[in-house]
Amino acid sequence: MDVDKLKAILETLQGTDVTRLTWISGQETLDLRLGHPPPATTAVHAAPMSAPITAPGAAASAPAAHANPAPAAAASPGQPAPAKASDENTFTVNSPFVGTFYRSASPDNPPFVDAGQVVKKGQVLCIVEAMKLMNEIEAEQPGRLLEVLVQNGSPVEYGEPLFRFEPA
Amino acid sequence: MFHRILIANRGEIALRVIRAARELGVETVAVHSTADASSLHVRFADQSLCIGPPPSKESYLNIPAILSAAEVSGADAIHPGYGFLSENAEFAEMVQHSGLGWIGPRPEMIRMMGNKVRAKEAMKEAGLPQLPGSEGVVQDERELVRLAERVGFPVILKAASGGGGRGMKIVREKEQLSQMYRTASAEALAAFGNGDMYVERYVERPRHIEIQIVADEHGSIVHLGERECSVQRRHQKLLEESPSPALNDKLRERMGRVAVEAMKKVRYNNLGTIEFLLDERGDFYFMEMNTRIQVEHPVTESVTGLDLIKEQIRLAAGEELGRTQKSIVLKGHAIECRVNAEDPVSFAPSPGLITAYNPPGGLGVRVDSGAYEHYRVLPFYDSMVAKLIVFADSRPAAIMRMRRALEEYIVEGIKTNIPFHKKLLVYDPFVQGRYDTRLVEKLLADHPN
Repeated sequence: MDVDKLKAILETLQGTDVTRLTWISGQETLDLRLGHPPPATTAVHAAPMSAPITAPGAAASAPAAHANPAPAAAASPGQPAPAKASDENTFTVNSPFVGTFYRSASPDNPPFVDAGQVVKKGQVLCIVEAMKLMNEIEAEQPGRLLEVLVQNGSPVEYGEPLFRFEPA
Repeated sequence: MFHRILIANRGEIALRVIRAARELGVETVAVHSTADASSLHVRFADQSLCIGPPPSKESYLNIPAILSAAEVSGADAIHPGYGFLSENAEFAEMVQHSGLGWIGPRPEMIRMMGNKVRAKEAMKEAGLPQLPGSEGVVQDERELVRLAERVGFPVILKAASGGGGRGMKIVREKEQLSQMYRTASAEALAAFGNGDMYVERYVERPRHIEIQIVADEHGSIVHLGERECSVQRRHQKLLEESPSPALNDKLRERMGRVAVEAMKKVRYNNLGTIEFLLDERGDFYFMEMNTRIQVEHPVTESVTGLDLIKEQIRLAAGEELGRTQKSIVLKGHAIECRVNAEDPVSFAPSPGLITAYNPPGGLGVRVDSGAYEHYRVLPFYDSMVAKLIVFADSRPAAIMRMRRALEEYIVEGIKTNIPFHKKLLVYDPFVQGRYDTRLVEKLLADHPN
C-alpha cells in the first residue's frame, strides 16, 4: 500500500460514520481506527500574542456559512471531541473560519443579538469578515444566548467559540 | 526588513522558519489545522491561528483562510516552506496582490519552472545542457537511425503515450535498433493505441545532483555548491550529502557556472535549486528546477556556514546579496538522513503516538524535527518525522558520526526507517561513494531484511 492510496482511503472516510476499517489485500493488511483522542487543547505560547487563542473546535457544532472556506468539521477524525462545557446544558457557536468578528452589520447598528435574547434557527448572530467578505453567521438551532465570548472587532480562528447558548 | 512573517506550513519546516525569523528579530505567525493544535510550530510562534480541519485542502492549502489569517494577524510577508502552496504561482500572486511580501521567487519564475516542457525550453535557451534525444516523435526508421547515431548508444526508446516505466526499450547497439523499434512501436500501439516513439540517450548509472542558487532582487547570483541526492526510493529522497563524492572541483565549478549563467539570463530571484542528471562520463543534463527552499537545505548550510532561511527572508525584503562567488567556500562534509514514520522493510506508513523519544546530540549533530515524546504522527500529512544532519571534516568522519547518531536516535510507539539508514550507512557502495539512483534498489535486493 502506498501513501497515495492510504491518503485516498482516509479522504474517502472523512465525514463518514466509519470508526474502524480492516482491509486485506494479498499479503497486506490495513487496520484503521478513526477518531483518536483529542490533542492537548491548551496552546502554550512563548511570547505574547495579539490574537486570542482558545481550544479550536471546542464544540462540534459550527454554523453554516456563506463563504467557501472550511465548513464545520464535526465528523473529521483528529477533531477534538466536543468539550465539556461548564454547564452540560449549553452549547457554543464556533467560527467557521479565520477572520474578524463583528457583532453588528456596521458600527452604527445595534448588535445582532444580546445576552438573554432567544434566537430562532437561521437568525443572524454575527459577521465574520474574511478576505474582505462579510459572512453572516446564522444560528443552526434555537437557543437563549448566555454569553458573547469574543470582543467585537477581534480576530477569530477556525473553530473558536463565539457564543454560548442554552437550548430554548 | 519585514516586521511579522506568517508561515503557511507545518512541521519541521515551519519550526525552521520560526527559528530563522526569531534570530532576525522578526515576529512569526503560525497557522495550523485543528489536528496540529499542539504542534511545536504553534507553540514557538509569536502568534498562532487555527485555519481549518485536518485535511490539507481545508487548512494548509486553503488560500482564503491563509490570506485571512495574514490579514487578521497583521503579517506583512508569507513564507510558504516546501510542499503545500510553495510552488503555486497563483498563490504567490495573490499574496503579492494583497500587499504582502512573498518569500520566494517571482510568480513568473514559479510558473515557468512548474511546467516541465516550458522549463526545459527556457533552460535550453539559457544554456543548460539537455539530455540528447529526438525533440518530438520519431517519424520513421531512417530518422531514428540518424538520431540514435547522433545521440550515441545506448539509447532508450519511449512510447509517446507510455508512462511509469511501460513502453520503454533500451537499445545498446545500432544493429538492434530497427528490430527493437518495430517491436516497441507495435507493443505501444497494442498497449496504448498509439505507436509513436521518442528516442533519448540512455544513462546507465545516473546520479541526481542539484545546485543551490541564491539570488537577490538586484541581479547578484551565486551558487552554494551541490547536493548529492541519488539515494532515492521511487523518486523519494532518503539521504542527501554535500559535497557529492562524484564531483571534483573542476566539475563543480563548471556545473555551478552554467547554472548561475542560466539564472542570470532568466533574471532569477531568491532561492532555487537546479536538478541535474549526471552520467558516468561526467556529462550533466538539466532535469528540473525547484523554486522554493528544499527539505535537504541543511547539508548546504553545514558546508557553507550560511543560514538559507535567513537568506531567503533577507533577500525577499530587498536586501543585497553582499557575497561574491569567491567568498563562498565549501568546508567539510555533511549528510542528512530523512527519518520517516514508516516500516523500514515494507516502507508502509506508520502514523501514531510517539511513546518514547531521544534525539541524538553531540558535536556536529543537528536534528530538525517537530517531534517530541507524546507527539502524534498524523495520517493526514507526509510521513517525515525528522531530519538528522551531521557535519564533519571529511566524508569518512561524517559517515562515522551519522552511524553514531543513528544509534542514539530512539523513537518508540511508531515504526521509523532508522534501521534502514543504519544498513545504508554500512553498505559498501555507499561507504565507497560509488553509487547512482539505483543504490536503494540494490541495497534492498542484497539485504531484503
